[in-house]
Amino acid sequence: MRATLRPVLLLVGLAVLIVAPLGESNYVIYLLCSWLIFSIAAIGLNLTLGYAGQISLAQASFMGIGAYSTAILTLAGWPWVVGMLLGVFLCFIVGLALGFPALRVKGHFLAFVTLAFNTLVFLVSRNEEWLTGGTYGLSNMPRPSLFGFSTDNQTHFYYFTVLVFLVSAALMYGIVRSPWGRAFKALRENPIRAESLGVDTRWLTLIAFAIGSAYAGIAGALVSPLVQYIDPGSFALVHSLRILLMVVVGGAGFFFGPMLGAVIVILLPEALRFTEGYYLIIYSAAVIALMVFCPSGLIGIWGRLRDRLGRKPETRADMQAGAQL
Amino acid sequence: MSASQPVLAVRNLSKTFGAIRAVKNVSFDVYPGEILGLIGPNGSGKSTLFNCILGQLRPNGGSVEVNGKSVSGKRACDLDKLGVGRTFQQLSVFPQMTVIDNIIVAGQEHHGTMLSRLFGPPDAGLTAEADQMIEFFRLSHLRDEMAGSLSYGQQKLVDAAMAFMAGPSLVLLDEPAGGVNLTMLAGLKERLVTYNREHGTTFVVIEHNMEFVMSLCTRIIVLAEGQIIAEGEPDEVRANQTVIDAYLGG
Amino acid sequence: MSEFLQVVLSGLATGSIYALAAIGFTLLWQAAQTVNFAQGEFVMLPAFFVLIALHWFGWPLWAALLFGLATAVVVLGLLFKKVVVEPMLPNTGLPLIIATMALSIFLKEGTKKFYGAEAQPFPPLFPQETLHVFGAAVSAQDILNLTVSLAVVVALTLFLNRTRTGRCIQATAQNPAVAEILGVKTKRMVLYTFLINAALAALASFLISPVYLAKFSNGETLGIFAFIAAIVGGFNQIRGALVGGLLIGVLDNLTATYITTSYRAALPLVLLIVVILWRPYGLVGTSEGREV
Repeated sequence: MRATLRPVLLLVGLAVLIVAPLGESNYVIYLLCSWLIFSIAAIGLNLTLGYAGQISLAQASFMGIGAYSTAILTLAGWPWVVGMLLGVFLCFIVGLALGFPALRVKGHFLAFVTLAFNTLVFLVSRNEEWLTGGTYGLSNMPRPSLFGFSTDNQTHFYYFTVLVFLVSAALMYGIVRSPWGRAFKALRENPIRAESLGVDTRWLTLIAFAIGSAYAGIAGALVSPLVQYIDPGSFALVHSLRILLMVVVGGAGFFFGPMLGAVIVILLPEALRFTEGYYLIIYSAAVIALMVFCPSGLIGIWGRLRDRLGRKPETRADMQAGAQL
Repeated sequence: MSASQPVLAVRNLSKTFGAIRAVKNVSFDVYPGEILGLIGPNGSGKSTLFNCILGQLRPNGGSVEVNGKSVSGKRACDLDKLGVGRTFQQLSVFPQMTVIDNIIVAGQEHHGTMLSRLFGPPDAGLTAEADQMIEFFRLSHLRDEMAGSLSYGQQKLVDAAMAFMAGPSLVLLDEPAGGVNLTMLAGLKERLVTYNREHGTTFVVIEHNMEFVMSLCTRIIVLAEGQIIAEGEPDEVRANQTVIDAYLGG
Repeated sequence: MSEFLQVVLSGLATGSIYALAAIGFTLLWQAAQTVNFAQGEFVMLPAFFVLIALHWFGWPLWAALLFGLATAVVVLGLLFKKVVVEPMLPNTGLPLIIATMALSIFLKEGTKKFYGAEAQPFPPLFPQETLHVFGAAVSAQDILNLTVSLAVVVALTLFLNRTRTGRCIQATAQNPAVAEILGVKTKRMVLYTFLINAALAALASFLISPVYLAKFSNGETLGIFAFIAAIVGGFNQIRGALVGGLLIGVLDNLTATYITTSYRAALPLVLLIVVILWRPYGLVGTSEGREV
């Protein structure tokens, strides 16, 4: 049943994505774009955290690198794509550079290294006014144009974002479905056994972190033209924590977890306006509770409920045939 | 490869932990196609020796070579590339993956490079081979079950299948009989012997179950207090007085 | 030269306070396998307990301090263990770290909401005079901070090495299974570790808040300093955390005075990255064996 359900659900999802902005205000469309952008960053972090089991607290700073490269280049007249590619490339390289020493040793050193890195990037972007505009930031970045079509209109930019999102998600799906995905699963479930079978856990983890960081670069490249203003504060440590929470709440290691988590982190506070100011408190308390009761996030809860509520107990094939050997 | 070149060559191996000399100047060779059993009472240094062979412990003296290459200080994934496979005593499978996936992942790291695996087919082209291996161990009816739902004995079979999937020249079996019931045990032994006969893979087995070891192995080495006290065919060793004394604490 | 001495001494004083936080963090990591990402907030919060006692209850300073200490030990020690850590056993890997990250957000935002977002003045514990030592103008507060912190570290080390309970805590840290067999009540030892950490954090809070002012966002910087001090010193040893803390304090002050103010915060971060790159087990730590 699940095999036929999935493509249907995907088509429905696609349809929803297409009709969502119709008739909505610019602000709502902006929120939808924001959701998609953070989903991309969260998808990247999901690879690092959910598949490779490493904590990165630098996802926002990588978004910053993507955003600033795009902003600086587009303000200088270069096309958006160039800025985006440069940002992604930088994020990938920096990811490799940061991850290589940190992942050599056992323990969650990457968490601390990325914590330090995020703060460093914040300092640099705040101090180096000549490059980043300092605390004043950069503004009036032009919207990209795709094959001559301008995205100045908010709805057009939304569809542009959807396009980038779908491509990014598809790429990630390809990664996860390939033998790499199987190696990640093995790494997650029994790292010692995986290593003994030839899985180079160090390289795999490193590359996952680098790719995950590159995804943040893509997301950042979209932030720049969306709001047409960026400043150091937009990529501070607290945002890295938010993205982490997105991945965790949605369900780390599940493909659709990041999208779900991003919906909750971005759209829920808007829907629950009355919780203004309290939503982070409620949210963090919820995460603690989640970690205690169901560390696999909301998708994990869904899975558990489904198991409890309906599946007929499946008999193992060999129980029917009788024990053999 | 000439018949005389040993698959595993242990030379003057010593390992000390502080004041404890766990392995004292041990030397032996393992020849292609052999099934060597490594036995000895508790504290004889079997596990230490085993871990030195696996590169997990660095010996204080001597060397360990597989097919002529040193294994000292090598990471587990590199050892696998040298043609060494191993089974584990506990927690040896990937519980949330299907049996066939378990076996495919065991083989995929030997086909192509990391990059080619990313762009290649999802099963790395190994489905047929994996199915063959599953059939060899008579687990075909469990092919799509989660490995974690299998019985302990069945998991041990999967473990062996995984170790063999990469086509190693040497497989180290860590207490394969532990915790397996008698019926399964006979089947496991039969499969191991058949595999050895069909592929010529060399086995080194550490085991406490005397009967299992004696009937499985072609040659036995007995360790006691870090040294080899006897070596030879199972029947010889079984009758050897020194060995009997060592076990009875004489 | 006298200015240099001043800067160094002042740095040692602040550094010794960071060391307290770092030691607690290290203890928790080793003895309780808990990487407490909320350690910075643990140092931020007790000051607010004191302020509550001072301003809402109207108590005198000494009573407020005791209240702050007691509440910290109960909330950040006992409750933290019972409510957050214990229910997650044996899942102490990623989920626990993430839970402590969420906890840090919770404590930070909670304080902001319930006490206020502005920095609050905190009464100094020591006289504010300046002494003259070797021609340098040194604040009495700095000297006393340094003395108190060092005294606490010495006392803690003595406790862990010379008392039976202390040695039991060490045994639990090194090999809980064996310790259990030998009759050590490991669960209780772990609880003590949590309580000690809370007490250390509270003490650090009281010493540093007069200087930093009590602000909900202090946790971020304090946390980073604690982590860096612990890592630079080598996670495995208390000595290391002390060395790490002092080093960071002095370097931080030197950087701010002689090199740059805008990149002041960068120094400890760069130090962290460099240490992890070059000697991940810290400047003092060893890669084998865990010593408390």
